[in-house]
Amino acid sequence: DLTAIMLRLPTVGRALAGAAKGSLASPNPVRAASNMVEVFVDGKPVEVLPGTTVLQACEKAGIQIPRFCYHERLSVAGNCRMCLVEIEKAPKPVAACAMPVMKGWNILTNSEKTRKAREGVMEFLLANHPLDCPICDQGGECDLQDQSMQFGSDRSRFSEGKRAVEDKNIGPLIKTIMTRCIQCTRCVRFASEIAGVEDLGTTGRGNNLQIGTYVEKMFMSELSGNVIDVCPVGALTSKPYAFTARPWETRKTESIDVLDAVGSNIVVSTRGGEVMRVMPRLNEDVNEEWISDKTRFAYDGLKRQRLTQPMVKDESGQLTPTTWEDALTRVAGALQSVQGNDVAAIAGGMADAEALVALKDVLNRLNSENLCTEEVFPTAGAGSDLRSNYLLNSRIAGIEECDLLLLVGTNPRYEAPLFNARIRKSWLHNELQVAVVGHGVDLSYTYDHLGEETSVLKELANGTHPFCQVLSAAKRPVVVVGSSALQRDDGAAILSAVSTIAQNARASSGVEDGWKVLNVLHRVASQVAALDLGYKAGVDAIRKNPPKVLFLLGADAGCISRADLPQNSLIIYQGHHGDVGAPMADIILPGAAYTEKNATYVNTEGRSQHTKVAVTAPGLAREDWKVIRAISELAGVTLPYDSLEEVRARLAEVSPNLVRYDDVEEANYFRQALELAQTVNQDLLAAPLVPPQLSAKDFYMTDSISRASQTMAKCVKAVTEGAAAVEEPSVC
Amino acid sequence: MAAAVVRTLGSSLGKNLRELRIHLCQTSVASSGTRNFIEQNYVTLKKSNPDFPILIRECSGVQARIWARYDFGKEQSVSVENMSADQVASALQTLVQSKP
Repeated sequence: DLTAIMLRLPTVGRALAGAAKGSLASPNPVRAASNMVEVFVDGKPVEVLPGTTVLQACEKAGIQIPRFCYHERLSVAGNCRMCLVEIEKAPKPVAACAMPVMKGWNILTNSEKTRKAREGVMEFLLANHPLDCPICDQGGECDLQDQSMQFGSDRSRFSEGKRAVEDKNIGPLIKTIMTRCIQCTRCVRFASEIAGVEDLGTTGRGNNLQIGTYVEKMFMSELSGNVIDVCPVGALTSKPYAFTARPWETRKTESIDVLDAVGSNIVVSTRGGEVMRVMPRLNEDVNEEWISDKTRFAYDGLKRQRLTQPMVKDESGQLTPTTWEDALTRVAGALQSVQGNDVAAIAGGMADAEALVALKDVLNRLNSENLCTEEVFPTAGAGSDLRSNYLLNSRIAGIEECDLLLLVGTNPRYEAPLFNARIRKSWLHNELQVAVVGHGVDLSYTYDHLGEETSVLKELANGTHPFCQVLSAAKRPVVVVGSSALQRDDGAAILSAVSTIAQNARASSGVEDGWKVLNVLHRVASQVAALDLGYKAGVDAIRKNPPKVLFLLGADAGCISRADLPQNSLIIYQGHHGDVGAPMADIILPGAAYTEKNATYVNTEGRSQHTKVAVTAPGLAREDWKVIRAISELAGVTLPYDSLEEVRARLAEVSPNLVRYDDVEEANYFRQALELAQTVNQDLLAAPLVPPQLSAKDFYMTDSISRASQTMAKCVKAVTEGAAAVEEPSVC
Repeated sequence: MAAAVVRTLGSSLGKNLRELRIHLCQTSVASSGTRNFIEQNYVTLKKSNPDFPILIRECSGVQARIWARYDFGKEQSVSVENMSADQVASALQTLVQSKP
């Protein structure tokens, strides 16, 4: 029979591969420790740990059990019954996802009884499920559709009326078609377990069971979009993506998100040169299988406010389109007439490492050292000499191993949603204790709020604060300081105090040498690469030496305005959006956004990753490093590289970790950094530590892409005025 | 001896140089001299040259190497693979004092 063959073929393949691997490792595999349980899957023996469920045991044997409610990252619900399997000599089939195995069980995944059970469950599920696959956005990637092809009947015995459920408006991101819901409760469990918001729940019983928010309200989570992926049917789908594309017509490009410093792994779905949607890609060390709503839904910002052709300011002060030749000649001419401190550059939050190194090389060749990032990082002490000074050294996944976390001046929930999800996971499952110095915010888990005054930091550093006892009792402490706290005038003093706290905590914990305590949580994707390359953090150098020519590489935070520069100074803006930086420029060079270039980004952990070209840049826009390369040639300071491989070889010459993709290079010398930090002669200011993003409304629009996104604007409106305030087209 | 070299260098790093980059491996034997040099002398060097970038870039398996950047983006590099801390110091001194 066909299903049997389909189900078994991969089994054989994997079993063979497993056997081959085993024999390579040790010719005579040692019998696993005696506490392993031996069970049989379709007669084949498997050794599993006690407590393993039937479903996991089958998975280990390489057999996939059909399921709807079971999800490996959520608690077990056992309510869909699709995973029923027969156990030999047992009176009735068991739910594989919820039943722990017993010694000697023979699990029959393809017996007559198992198949009958699946067919029965499928028949019941389909009884109330609408037959609207042709107009359903889940079509083509629907678990119910796929499994009904395997286990569904070819005719219906159902003659009663179908159940219908009213749709709910849970915000501008998620479209609900509740009649399609099969009550698997994955979304409810995702919301309460992973996202940490109790917005979703069930009401009613039996045939009347409904998923919803009880009173109509927005599903308020920065991770809400993930319920679309988690939903096995078409009940929860993407509102912005509704009716725009089918999964089989899109091209998928594996890439990296750059809207925060986490570097979530994503898949960019495109059709006909247009980004149709962004979905998460599995990376256990970074984002697991989730992404934030900004990552997922801000893509419409890539199609608006774009700079599509070079522009120059004419006599009347109007920016007018021109040719690349004209724009580049003007830039090169301006650069030829200046050198040293007369020329400077500011890199914005989404600049890639290739463009950063090219720009630095050009300016260095003009004898300028004024290459700055918009984000400030204290340069007193070790500054950016030591990578350990500015990285999230413990790594995102490392949070799962720590027992005490101290957050200083940060709101990770909105600055790095996936990092926050990791903290919550550890808080939930590993009893992680969290303490916060800074403005009190809702982090989706409980924490000790030590206060928002900087005096708390001082007391923690000199050991007089009562919390020091808890800190010193920690076995694996981690201290995370938010990059926003380091933007302040007393940034160096804050970093120094935090380093001392971290060092004291490390000393008292007696933790092994490899354990990192001090961490910096960045907010923008470009910062770590820029510091790795030797950019100066903050624009102080430019304020001190106002340049005649200023080059803005995607600098849209508005750190420098015309007023800071001498009259007649020339501003060149290179970037992809007409946001804050472009309007004040004299020459605009259109660049590529992260979906349009092969570009290297380093996340807050120091993990180097690269994006891939998913679509071509609009209009005349070009990849950023190539534009700078062209300028260098015209300006007579030709850069010695002309291909992506050659730029990356140059990256390796400056900082070799930048081209170690998907790898985190360990950074050390904490002791040296602390020694230098303690020489910093700066006092903490009295102003309280308040991170810039306090509530959900601050989260959605933080950069040039998300500020251009209508979807993100709708989110802000829905968050402030309620989901009903956002008008939706009546079709969907 | 390395300490003596660092004392001699004093705050003169920025005289010819614009930037120093030290590449090394976190664990390799070949980089151990460079690691020792950093552990023992980096703080002193940085204290006397507080505004001068001495970028220490650790990366597994790389050849220990010192890169020096001079005026107008001119760069020179010298491998310090398998060198002792003292040899690293004198290699550094050569780079600091040369002027391409």
